[in-house]
Amino acid sequence: MISFHPSLEQLEIFSAGNCESTLALMLSAHIDMCAQCQTATRSIQAVLAIDALCQTSPLTDKYANMMSDITLLPVAESPVAKSEASSLELDGRHFALPRALRGYQNKTGNWSRLAGKLWQAPVDIGDVGKATFIYMEKGGKVPEHTHKGRELTLVLDGQYSDGLAEYDCGDFTLMDAKNKHLPHSEAEEGCLVFTIVDKPLHFTSGIARLLNPFSQLFFK
Amino acid sequence: MLVGMSLEAKFKNTIRPKECAEDMSQYLSFVASERCKQSFSTLFSYFAPRLRSYAIKQMGNEALAMELVQDTMSNVWQKAHLFNAEKGSPSTWIFTIARNIRFDMLRKQSKRKEDICADDLWAVLCEQTADSNEVSMDHQATVNEIEYMFERLPGKQKLVIEAIYIEGKSQQEVADELCIPLGTVKSRTRLALQRLTEMLKDYD
Repeated sequence: MISFHPSLEQLEIFSAGNCESTLALMLSAHIDMCAQCQTATRSIQAVLAIDALCQTSPLTDKYANMMSDITLLPVAESPVAKSEASSLELDGRHFALPRALRGYQNKTGNWSRLAGKLWQAPVDIGDVGKATFIYMEKGGKVPEHTHKGRELTLVLDGQYSDGLAEYDCGDFTLMDAKNKHLPHSEAEEGCLVFTIVDKPLHFTSGIARLLNPFSQLFFK
Repeated sequence: MLVGMSLEAKFKNTIRPKECAEDMSQYLSFVASERCKQSFSTLFSYFAPRLRSYAIKQMGNEALAMELVQDTMSNVWQKAHLFNAEKGSPSTWIFTIARNIRFDMLRKQSKRKEDICADDLWAVLCEQTADSNEVSMDHQATVNEIEYMFERLPGKQKLVIEAIYIEGKSQQEVADELCIPLGTVKSRTRLALQRLTEMLKDYD
């Protein structure tokens, strides 16, 4: 069951189209998975539409031919079904992806082992942040870390906990410099998450601390 | 049947979107089923001035505002068949189209490489844009790799790196413990990091 939702304010900023793109992508994917936030977003959009379109600004001469120009345009073809495969594969297992992430299927690199029971696959979303699918096998742990920037996480399959709370499929979290956590999964089927960080993670214990000086190498 | 009447006159701009939602849904369905220019004309004269007001506020520029109005109304003409009255009112649908177009216009103005587009975020028009960019594979340093490389550092460098990066000691503390000058600790650290960096680069 989903317990961690975006705030109402985040949904409003998202619906107005004013949310920066990495958070917007996460919110969109969460909304795909969450009936409650779908309903909320529909109501928010209706309210925003009333506000946005309540005033008129008379058309100037430059608009004179616009309508007739538009009616010369052909009808658009019906949308084709998403051509991308809608699931992500890891070691023979297929994970369904929320609609918002399906376009990134073909921008996802190969899986590599991050440590022990932890797997990662990079996703190219441009310069706005570093996106990764992370899969934790049962007993898999992400080394304890804090965040120099912001870490957005959405659980796509299974459950994990991090010493702060337990997270289920569909849960959305935003962590920043204030939060130190140690994500690990004890779920029988493990846990798949999608995560975006805008700055490298800062590992706080053990051999993983050695990664900190090199973060610019794997965070480009 | 409304066709043939003076439609523009019937829907004065003072009528609020909510009050004419049913009629506007009808016009959208005429546009979808019959390419009815008369119906589109009504939609245009009602919504274009409203969109212009929104667009000027959002874009702060006449030319961009006009582009936003034109693109939005073009989508209404070309994709009226995608409107579903069960999901919301015509004004909400048209607002979300404008919102998406605005999002992509701002994205294109941004200096950064932004791959996240409005169609990914909001399934308003569910259009499919084929875009199969090659995945750029970043170098992925992993804990296992770095542990392996760390083990291959020369003994003196390893000692310094271990104290600083794993035990979290300051360079001065390390110097005092090992009874070596601070400058030596610094140069060993630098050499070790350079070595690790090279090993990481060569790792692929």
